Amino acid sequence: MQDASIKKQRIEQRLARRYRADRRFRRLGLAAVLFGLVCVLILFISIFSKGYSAFWQTRIQLPLVLDAAVLGVADTADLNRADYNGLVKKTLRQLFPEVVQRGEKRKLYGLVSTGAAHQIREMLIRTPDLLGSAQEIWVPADDDVDMLMKGKIDRSLPESERRLSDLELTWLDTLAAQGRIKKVWNTTFFTAGDSREPELAGIRGAVTGSFYTLLVTLSLSFPIGVASAVYLEEFAPKNRLTDLIEVNINNLAAVPSIVFGLLGLAVFINFFGVPRSVPLVGGLVLTLMTLPTIIIAGRAALRAVPPSIREAARGIGASPLQVVFHHVLPLAMPGMLTGTIIGMAQALGETAPLLVIGMVAFIVDIPGGLTEPATVLPVQIYLWADSPELAFLEKTSAAIMVLLLFLVVMNGLAIFLRKRFECRW
Amino acid sequence: MIENGQNQQTLSAFQTLNGHGAAAPVVVSGGRVSRDDRRTVGEPLVKDPRITCRSVNVWYDKTHAIQDVTLDIGRNQVIAMIGPSGCGKSTFLRCLNRMNDTIDSCRVDGQICLDEQDILGPQVDVVSLRAQVGMVFQKPNPFPKSIYDNVAYGPRIHGLVRGRVEEDELVESSLIKAGLWDEVKDRLTSPGTGLSGGQQQRLCIARAIAVSPEVILMDEPCSALDPIATAKIEELIDELRVQFTIVIVTHSMQQAARVSQRTAYFHLGELIEVGETKKIFTMPRHRLTEDYITGRFG
Repeated sequence: MQDASIKKQRIEQRLARRYRADRRFRRLGLAAVLFGLVCVLILFISIFSKGYSAFWQTRIQLPLVLDAAVLGVADTADLNRADYNGLVKKTLRQLFPEVVQRGEKRKLYGLVSTGAAHQIREMLIRTPDLLGSAQEIWVPADDDVDMLMKGKIDRSLPESERRLSDLELTWLDTLAAQGRIKKVWNTTFFTAGDSREPELAGIRGAVTGSFYTLLVTLSLSFPIGVASAVYLEEFAPKNRLTDLIEVNINNLAAVPSIVFGLLGLAVFINFFGVPRSVPLVGGLVLTLMTLPTIIIAGRAALRAVPPSIREAARGIGASPLQVVFHHVLPLAMPGMLTGTIIGMAQALGETAPLLVIGMVAFIVDIPGGLTEPATVLPVQIYLWADSPELAFLEKTSAAIMVLLLFLVVMNGLAIFLRKRFECRW
Repeated sequence: MIENGQNQQTLSAFQTLNGHGAAAPVVVSGGRVSRDDRRTVGEPLVKDPRITCRSVNVWYDKTHAIQDVTLDIGRNQVIAMIGPSGCGKSTFLRCLNRMNDTIDSCRVDGQICLDEQDILGPQVDVVSLRAQVGMVFQKPNPFPKSIYDNVAYGPRIHGLVRGRVEEDELVESSLIKAGLWDEVKDRLTSPGTGLSGGQQQRLCIARAIAVSPEVILMDEPCSALDPIATAKIEELIDELRVQFTIVIVTHSMQQAARVSQRTAYFHLGELIEVGETKKIFTMPRHRLTEDYITGRFG
C-alpha cells in the first residue's frame, strides 16, 4: 500500500516536469514562428511603404497649340522630325510669361519630363489630324516634381539643401492652383523599359527578359531534370559510378550561384560563342543552377511512390518503361512539379550569375527574342538600387514588390498543382 | 499399370536429381523422420505438372535463401506453401514469375519449367512470362485509378482486347470471376483505392485473372484482411482452381488446410515435406512438419 502511494507520488512529480517541458517546447516553437512572421511582416511593410507610391505618377497639364510653324513642319509627312521640345518649352513660357532669365527658363523647362516631347510626337504620328489644333495634354512631370508631390521632398528645408528651388515651388503651386497637376496610375512603370529618367523608367524590359530567360530555363531543366531523376532512380544500376554521380549532384546544388555564372561565361560565351547579355545564355546558366534542385526533388518524389505500385504493375507484366510511365511518374509528378517551380522561383530571383554573363547592361529596349540583349527583374532592382536619384528608391521597392508577387504566384501554383494532382489512397 | 510405371520412373529421376541417392531417411520414434534430416519427404512430384522445379537454389549475396528445392506444381489445383517466417516460401514463390529479378543481389539457379519451357533462362521474356503467371500480393495494391482501369490495364498493355466492347466484356467477366461484380458494377469509374481491404484484394485478383494467366501466385493474400473478407477470398480461390493453377503462401495453417489440395512445408530455406494437404495435416512424416503444425514453434 505504501509502495503504491510512493510510486504514485514519484510519477506525479515527474509528470509535472514532463508537462512543463512540453509547454516550454511549444512556446519556443510558437515564438520562433512568430519571430519569422514578424520579420516577414517588417520586410513587407518596409518595401510596401516605400514602393507603393511608385505606382502613381505626377502629370502636368499643358495647353498645347499644335502649330505647324512652331513645330517647324510643312505638312504631316514631316512629323517624324518636328521640334516637339520647342513646342513644350514655348508652352511653358506662355504659362509663366514673367520668366525671362536664361537660368530660370532652364529651371522652368525642367519641370516636365523629357519624355513629354516624345509623348506629343507619338500622339501626333498616331493622329496627324490634330496638327494645327489646340490640345490640353497631360505630360509626365520631372522626377523631382513627382517626389515633391508625393511628399518626399521636405519644403521646410533651406533652399540650398533642397532639390527644388523656391522659384520652382511657386511655379508648381501656381500650376496646382490652376488644377494643372494630378497624380495618375503609373502605366509607364509597366509598359516602359529602363531609362535614365526615373519618371520614364519601367519594368517591362526586365519582366520580358525574365520571361524569356525562365522560358529557356524551364524548357531545358524540366525535361533534363525529370529524365535524369527517372533514370537514376528507376533504371541506373546501383554501383560506384552512380553513387559518384549522386554525390556530385548533391554537391552541385550547394555550389554558389556566381560560380555557375563564371562557368557560363567560360563555356557558353567564350567557347560556344553565344552572345553576351541575352536571355538564351542567362537561361542556360540558370538551367545549370536549377537542374540539381529539380533532380533531387524529382528523385525524392519518385522514392515516395510506394513500391507496392511498382510490384503490382510488374506483376501484371508491365515492361520497366510502362511501370515508370504508367504508374510511377504520374504519382511522382506533383512532387516533381513542386520541385521544378521552386527551382524556377529560385532562378527568377537569381542575380549573381547573370551579372557575370553581362545581363547587367543598361538596356532601354524591350527584348523581342532569346538573342536580344536583356536584363532581368532582380538585376533591374540591383541597377535601380544603385542609382543616385531619389525617385529610383521607390522604383526599386516597387520592382521588388512585382518580383515578390511573381514568386508568391509561382509558389501558389506549386501548391495548387500538388493539391490538384495529388493521389490519395 | 502403365501409370504406375511412369510414376516410378519420374520418382527415380527425381531421386537422382535431388542427389539423395538411395539412402534411407533417418527415422526416429513414432515413425517420423528426424529433425536433422533435411531431405524432402513426401511426394514432391506429380503426374502432368504445370510447373516443375528442379534443384532450385536462391542466394541473396552470400545468404543461401532457398536450398535445392525440387517440387512439381500440378494443374488446376491449389498448392499451399507453409512454414515459419523467413523460411523462403515467399522467395520461392517469387522465383516462379521472376519477381526476384529486380533485386540486384538475388541469384537463382536450378531449373524451373512452366509447361516444359524453362523460365529461368536469360532468353526468357519476363514480361510475357508474367502474362502467364499472375501474382496477388500480401497487401492489396490496386493502382490509384478507377476500378475499370485497374482490371483493364493488363489486357491493354498486352494487347489482349480489341475495341471498347471487348474490353467491357473482359472487365465484367474478370470482376464476376473475382466475385466483385455485384458490389462494384455501379461505380466502375470510382477509384479502386476507395474500396474496402477485402474488395481491394478481390480487385487485385480480378486484375490478375484479366490477362488469363495459367498460374496465379498468391503471397499471403489474406494476411491484411478480416475473417469475413478472408472467407470470401478463400471461397474465390476454390472456384478459381477450376480454371487456374494456384500457388498460395500462407501463415495460416487453417487456411492451407481449407483451400489447398497439396501443401509444402518449408524450413530455413529447405523444402521439408510435400504431400496431399490431408496427409500433411493428419500424419506428417517429418518431425519438423509435425512440430510446426502442432504449434510447437512458429
